[in-house]
Amino acid sequence: MKLPASLRSLSDALFRRRQIDGEIDEEFQAHLKYHADDLERSGLPRAEAERRARIAFGAYEKAKEECREARGTTLLENSWQDLRYGVRTLFKDRRYSVLAIFALALGIGASTVVFSIVYDGLLNPFPYKDANGISIFQIHDMERPGDGGRGYFSFSEFLDYREQNQVFTDMVGTAYTDALYSSDGGARRMQGAYVTTNTFPFLGVKPLLGRWITDDDGKPGAPPVFVISFSFWKEQFNGDPKVLGTVLTLNGEPRTLVGIMPPRFRYFGAPVYFPLGLSRNATDAKDEYNRPRMLVAEERRKPGVTLQAAAADMDVIARRLAKVHPNDYPKRFSIWTDSLASDVVGDSKPILYILLAAVGLLLLIACSNVANLLLTRATVREKEIALRAALGASQGRLVRQLLMESFVLAVAGGALGCLLAYAGIQIIAAVIPPMLPGEAEIELNRVVLMFAVGVTLLTTLGCGLAPAIHSMRANLNKRLVGSGKGSSGGFRHGKLRAALVIVEVALSIVLLAGVGLITRTFYALTHVNLGFDASNVLAAQITFPKEGYKTVQQRKVFFQQVLARITAVPGVVAAAETISLPPYNAGRSEITIPGTTHSEAWNTLLDTCSEGYFTTLKIPLLRGRLLSEDDVNSGRFVAVVNQTFARNYFPNDDAIGQKLKFNVFDQIEQTPHDAYFEIVGVVSDVKNQGLQDPPMPQAYIPYTVTAYADRAILVRTAIEPLSLVKSVRNEIWAVDRNVAFTEAGTLTEFLHRYSYARPEFGLVSLGAFAAIGLLLAAVGVFSVMAYAVSLQTHEIGIRMALGAQHADILSMVLRKGITLVTAGILIGLAISFAVTRLLSSELFGVSPNDPWTFSVVVAVVIAVGAAACFLPARRASRVDPLIALRYE
Amino acid sequence: MAARAELLPGTLDLLILKAVSLGSLHGYGILLRIEQISRGALLIEQGALYPALFRLVHQGLLKANWGTSDNNRRAKYYELTATGRKRLRQEQDGWNRLVAAMGSALDSEPEEA
Repeated sequence: MKLPASLRSLSDALFRRRQIDGEIDEEFQAHLKYHADDLERSGLPRAEAERRARIAFGAYEKAKEECREARGTTLLENSWQDLRYGVRTLFKDRRYSVLAIFALALGIGASTVVFSIVYDGLLNPFPYKDANGISIFQIHDMERPGDGGRGYFSFSEFLDYREQNQVFTDMVGTAYTDALYSSDGGARRMQGAYVTTNTFPFLGVKPLLGRWITDDDGKPGAPPVFVISFSFWKEQFNGDPKVLGTVLTLNGEPRTLVGIMPPRFRYFGAPVYFPLGLSRNATDAKDEYNRPRMLVAEERRKPGVTLQAAAADMDVIARRLAKVHPNDYPKRFSIWTDSLASDVVGDSKPILYILLAAVGLLLLIACSNVANLLLTRATVREKEIALRAALGASQGRLVRQLLMESFVLAVAGGALGCLLAYAGIQIIAAVIPPMLPGEAEIELNRVVLMFAVGVTLLTTLGCGLAPAIHSMRANLNKRLVGSGKGSSGGFRHGKLRAALVIVEVALSIVLLAGVGLITRTFYALTHVNLGFDASNVLAAQITFPKEGYKTVQQRKVFFQQVLARITAVPGVVAAAETISLPPYNAGRSEITIPGTTHSEAWNTLLDTCSEGYFTTLKIPLLRGRLLSEDDVNSGRFVAVVNQTFARNYFPNDDAIGQKLKFNVFDQIEQTPHDAYFEIVGVVSDVKNQGLQDPPMPQAYIPYTVTAYADRAILVRTAIEPLSLVKSVRNEIWAVDRNVAFTEAGTLTEFLHRYSYARPEFGLVSLGAFAAIGLLLAAVGVFSVMAYAVSLQTHEIGIRMALGAQHADILSMVLRKGITLVTAGILIGLAISFAVTRLLSSELFGVSPNDPWTFSVVVAVVIAVGAAACFLPARRASRVDPLIALRYE
Repeated sequence: MAARAELLPGTLDLLILKAVSLGSLHGYGILLRIEQISRGALLIEQGALYPALFRLVHQGLLKANWGTSDNNRRAKYYELTATGRKRLRQEQDGWNRLVAAMGSALDSEPEEA
């Protein structure tokens, strides 16, 4: 096959250079021999003939080079040469190269990692078909502050919206349901979900095995089926594919397993899904008890329908329904809509946006840094470039060579950046808290990686070219003869560089201020006085089977046995019954205290407990007495209140001996109506609205007063609490196998999961950013100062010759650097004051403009900035005036 | 020996094409041929011949083949391609016109101007 000529000479250039050289040599040698032969024939001795032939031939090597060039393939050969030369010069200037590669890699790595998190966690967290079109709507009571409102609908209400709307392609409804099943020799509970039968096609995620739920499953009389999640399949069936078709008794009803969903499908976080038919009269009597009363709706908007348009349409339907069911709708309401992703990520949104902003800043810093380094280096190399131009290097050739150098730099930085991104994503995915939707999968976003690499490459190449273009325009002669480094006229990059550094410093101030505030928040949160001792406490949820434990007596018998058995387990110090786990409290009631008059409603939090509650949590008694065994056993109407309760409602009297009524009890069937409780004791405050808010008034009453609500147990242990999970569970099942024991964990673990994880994530990620940002800013300051010093060598030499001391020079340079840093700090502080307010939702125990935090941040930046100035300053102070003056 | 003239820029290529048009030649042969057809009046720097040859090959006006000379020496022989032959004709015409124009211009008497 014959290659086209240009291709052939290209391949010649690449692979046959040595051979081509040989051929040229051979041709030239032949020429010399012919000539020598002729001369010999004319009578000269051979040696003399050969000598003359050589002289007549002229410049042998030059001719050879010209032949090579004439073959027209020199671009590639030159590039190869440039590449080797570039690598060599970069290697020679190691400090600079390492800095530049490092800056590039950090910028690429960090920005890619964070963008990946935000993209996968916030912008595209769901595996569903067209997930961005899915939204939710809620009935917002306009008399209440904030967003949102009622987001659940009765079955018929749900169908009304589904059938009457004009804006949605479809609407699905889901309801959590307790699903009790038996495993491991006892009852377990899980939170399953009823899904309307159109849900699976709506979400569009194909099952891993078997089939999904279809409309047929919702028809009256259809055989009961269920679908399970991947994790449930792994845990419960060890991933055995033969389990399809298995019949499991769930909530007392045998159901057939028809499908297993893939790992990423965790809709509503449910392990099991039951079908819910969409027709209004589909309810058969048997199902009535289990059937969900309220549904959460999700819907997909038709193409082109905005959230506002959807809200307007729903508003029309809602007004109609409000006339029919006035009790279900507030007097003044509006429709609140939100996209699914934004609703699920909810509270975490600010911190994700903050990270996104931070990463943008970081990429900016990284780019300006590389620009800075390259411009600096270019200025220093001006003389070299001028010399090369003077020696006859063509403009194109010089540009090519500089480009090649930048290219080497960019490729090295890009490669390292990719490595960093890959490593970073592994680390981040490991520490990511439960703040992201359960279905989000954090993985490296290759498009963004390419984008980051592209941006930095362009920066590198662009800035690498600047010196070439500059030296082309400039007068060669002036550059060579005049002060080769110093004639700064015309090179306008000096100011640009200073501005870039100021920006870098300012940005790192902003990042550091954010980190400082989050650090303070984290410290404050982890050092909040909880009011109880959370260490070594095991907590677990107790769920009674649906049919049993409806009376106080049944529950009392159960808990008396269970608590006695658990307390007898070796390693257990105390055990107690409760409804909610501190520092959160679920029960809340308006109260009536006879003999008091007050205009606003009085409220209290309420928990039922056994007599061991206060010892288990180590809550100290202040006055009166605690609940006694006798109080609990006889279900006496007595209450222990917390300090805030006593202070708020009995500011002048002693609370002990006073009576109060929990108004909420009058509205619930299984609770004592119109019952007045006597206050017998006051205990110290315990955090009961989470860590951040001050405690509300709270009352504790014997658990034997009511059979209402599911319960939890608390177990104080002398040893590692988790090691006792099995023994505690076995004691419970020894009393009754049908009672489910779930969500066992330590109180510290719950605290971490619900209260510390988010600030910790913010701390780790913002902290990493700020560290990188600071490092990059330091590099920026360093490169600008190093450049300034090299420009000033001449001036410094004169100063020293005129008697300036080392210390004078040192302080002169340092002062200049500190001026830059200070300018950056001032701008940074101004931005921070404006911006940290955005963080306020993530802060606790510290004001967004905390002066201490800001002072420390400024101190750190000054220290780092000074350190970055110090090296160039010291070099300047060591300038030998003799050499400096002669050097120019 | 007659006085030798420096080559005008660009004329070497034309001379080479002319030399080769009479039959394929190796480099030294081309040099001798040019000396012969110019009757020794043109001075060519020997080393400069080869880059010109390489350039003409690259432009597709000549083609080069390794062959064996009379005394069994391996040598690279150049010959005209079809394009080369066409180019030679064009250049020759152009050159003749230029020479005629230059000649009449330089020979003209002051009063004719």
